[in-house]
Amino acid sequence: MNIKIIISIIIIVGALIFGATSFMETNIEYTNFSHAEKVQKKVQVKGEWVKEKESKFEAQQNQFIFYMKDENNHEMKIILDGAKPNNFEIATSLVAKGRFKDGTFYANEVLTKCPSKYEGDSSAVKKML
Amino acid sequence: MLGSIIVKITFATSLFAMFAYFLHYRKQSEKILQLARMSYQISVVGIILSFSLLSYLIMTHQFQFHYVWNYSSTDLPTALLFSSSYAGQEGSFMLWAFFTGIVGIFLMNYAAKRNYETELMLVYSAIFTFLIGMLIAKNPFAYIWDVFPSELLRTGIVPPDVTNYIWLDKAKQLWAQYPVGGRGLNPLLQNYWMVIHPPILFIGFTSMSIPFSYAIAGMLKKDYVHWIRIATPWTVFGALALGTGIMLGGYWAYETLGWGGYWAWDPVENSSLVPWLVCVASLHTMLSQRKSGAFIKTNFILSILCFLLVLYSTFLTRSGVLGETSVHSFVEPGMWVYWLLLGMIGIFATIGFTVFFVRWKEMPVVPVEHSFVSREFALFLGAAALVFSSLFIAIGTSSPIITNILKNKISAVDTAYYVTTILPLGIAIALLAGIGQLLWWKNSKLQPFLQSLKIPIILSIIFTIVTYFIGATHFTMLIFIFSSSFALFANIAVGIKIFKGNPKMAGGAIAHIGLALMFLGFVGSAKYDDKETVSLEKGKTFESLGYTMKYIGYRSIERGRYAFDVEVEKEQQKFIVTPVMFEGQEEGNIIRNPDIINLLTKDFYLSPLSYDVVNPNEKEITLHTNEVLSLNDISIKYNGYDFISIKEGNSVNIKLDIIDKNKIRKLTPTMLNQKGNVTYQPAMDSVTGIQFTIKGMKPNKEDESKSTVTLSMIAPTNIQPVETLVVEASIKPFINVVWLGTFGVIVGFCITIVRRVQEAKKRS
Repeated sequence: MNIKIIISIIIIVGALIFGATSFMETNIEYTNFSHAEKVQKKVQVKGEWVKEKESKFEAQQNQFIFYMKDENNHEMKIILDGAKPNNFEIATSLVAKGRFKDGTFYANEVLTKCPSKYEGDSSAVKKML
Repeated sequence: MLGSIIVKITFATSLFAMFAYFLHYRKQSEKILQLARMSYQISVVGIILSFSLLSYLIMTHQFQFHYVWNYSSTDLPTALLFSSSYAGQEGSFMLWAFFTGIVGIFLMNYAAKRNYETELMLVYSAIFTFLIGMLIAKNPFAYIWDVFPSELLRTGIVPPDVTNYIWLDKAKQLWAQYPVGGRGLNPLLQNYWMVIHPPILFIGFTSMSIPFSYAIAGMLKKDYVHWIRIATPWTVFGALALGTGIMLGGYWAYETLGWGGYWAWDPVENSSLVPWLVCVASLHTMLSQRKSGAFIKTNFILSILCFLLVLYSTFLTRSGVLGETSVHSFVEPGMWVYWLLLGMIGIFATIGFTVFFVRWKEMPVVPVEHSFVSREFALFLGAAALVFSSLFIAIGTSSPIITNILKNKISAVDTAYYVTTILPLGIAIALLAGIGQLLWWKNSKLQPFLQSLKIPIILSIIFTIVTYFIGATHFTMLIFIFSSSFALFANIAVGIKIFKGNPKMAGGAIAHIGLALMFLGFVGSAKYDDKETVSLEKGKTFESLGYTMKYIGYRSIERGRYAFDVEVEKEQQKFIVTPVMFEGQEEGNIIRNPDIINLLTKDFYLSPLSYDVVNPNEKEITLHTNEVLSLNDISIKYNGYDFISIKEGNSVNIKLDIIDKNKIRKLTPTMLNQKGNVTYQPAMDSVTGIQFTIKGMKPNKEDESKSTVTLSMIAPTNIQPVETLVVEASIKPFINVVWLGTFGVIVGFCITIVRRVQEAKKRS
């Protein structure tokens, strides 16, 4: 066999293994708060903002603090590293990425899922008549 | 009605063109060819008319159309109003089809001169037909009452005060009311980039279908060699258009969206990068085939993949499969886009690979028998690295789908995944971009090659050491800097030589210089950036990152936006930086635009985070009914409230007693509710000057004594309220090098197109 083909195969297999391990290592599991508490590693949790509880931006630390409940209605204090995310108030659901530590979930990113503007929103159309 | 009919005619004529080209392919007939051409041209007129009509409807605010209502409004400036015509799902497919149709006319003429028209246009018109099919499945010209029948369809007599209506069936007394305003353009999209960026990106998407069409056409014609020469200018054009689109998108994100950087590894960004990398890889293997005859099969596969990956990208970002994992909370389009796009991928993949495997045995095998020290081998490795980059990014972007299949759980990879996997490939690409340019075709002689390596290597070692002392201390970064600067110096050396000979051939060297500069700029601006959050109290001076900042005040600018003026000073140089904040369509949805000072060696980037006014004299109190609260000099008693109906609403009057040394003064702060519009009228105590305003009420109907009211009290003093602007300041070192690099890549592609077009002319 041609030596170049052998080298190519080695390169390809090596690259694939490298890609697959990186994929597995950085894949952030979607889970709930109780599981996040158990594993203590970086996960993402989907849930809703608890509007009744306090939410504030601490400018000194550059932290946005709020409460979120996951799909099992488990409430958790979230400290987000950064400002209040865009569309926070109107989001129908949130995804917090981060890790659990000492009774608090430290998020480095919170994604907001907005109410779909795109499919028929009948109340909006009524308002504009 | 008119719009839907034009779209259907467009679809029918392009479908007919496809069949006519097919007939002509099976049985050569001049008449049928004329028919095919004419019918394709009619369909292009059709798509131009449709797009113009949609734009016209938007410009004239015809809110009886659902699309116009959903994406535009009367308060948009003209340019943004026009951009609404492609801001929505349906409109963006329209724009894609529009460009595909128009480019097809040029392609037809170009291919006809080179005896490629029939096969090429057969494939190309099939793609065009599919895109128009999208517009039939999801009609941009749908009437709004077809989308909201129960809200808008009425029967009987039209009330005299309703003017925004249309009769649908007078005999049945059926009429429909339509909105007088629209929902407008997403505020994030409301800036001039929206006018420029999507059209360029869609021209890029369009151009990816051209190498695909040529590859299939070549195989149909059993031409496995010559097609490369004809297709190359178009592939370069595709790489140019899509590349420019991606780069402009990055600049948009950096300059106005305030993401803090130009690249966030977001699915929407990644999904256009994936086909682009494959397209660039195919440019390199095409070049290799022209010189050595090898890589015949690779070129077919890569050209097919370019287009399939564009479709796959569209599927990823438009079908909603990524769920919550994308920052661009893109559309929930319903099932139509999902199945149509999946179907389109399936059909074109089947077409592409069936033709490929049918022709497989016929394709000539040219053994890759060159030494390791040859440009072919470097090109091959470079293309492989590009394809692997594309593959890794595609896998990362598809991770929600992959994990859904494997673990039945949707989850995405962290952005760290992309950095880990792409960085080593980036190093390899940079090294090869230098080595490949220094090598000769077939067998390079080892001795002169090593000789030519000397100066670039010495220079890049010096460069790397210098950057180490500037502050680039990470080992992997130093390797990346070394390989990128090697690519830079090697290509400068090659570029100078070529420029002295024939400047038309310098495209490759210039594009590679651009690439090397981009890589070096990435290190500075993305790895060694520095940021800090600062609360700027109005009028006071603060220090951050070596700059002094002072918030001066805000002012209202166009369309409800506020500009916040910040004075920034460093080494006697003064700048006014004005980040912008405004509320989007929904309350509480704050849109933030950063502002930048562009210095030669770095950017000073200021993102607004929040703006607060705190009145130190303000105090909030909450009282139960009949409760007496004693303050320093006075006591306050809450005596309940009166609920009074007034014209078009009601008024809530709070009854307060101010007890001041046995004297009682009565105050009534009120809350007015008119047509759902709530306003608060404060009441001021004439003796103390304290002003009371209602903040909230909790009535309790069962037990009146448990009702509460919350009031704000503002005492009169000379202390002004404190305004605080919170900002994130950051320094992006050497970001200008990134922009310079992108410019170099674009210029390099342009020069290459000119050269390849001239070559393609000579041969025909």
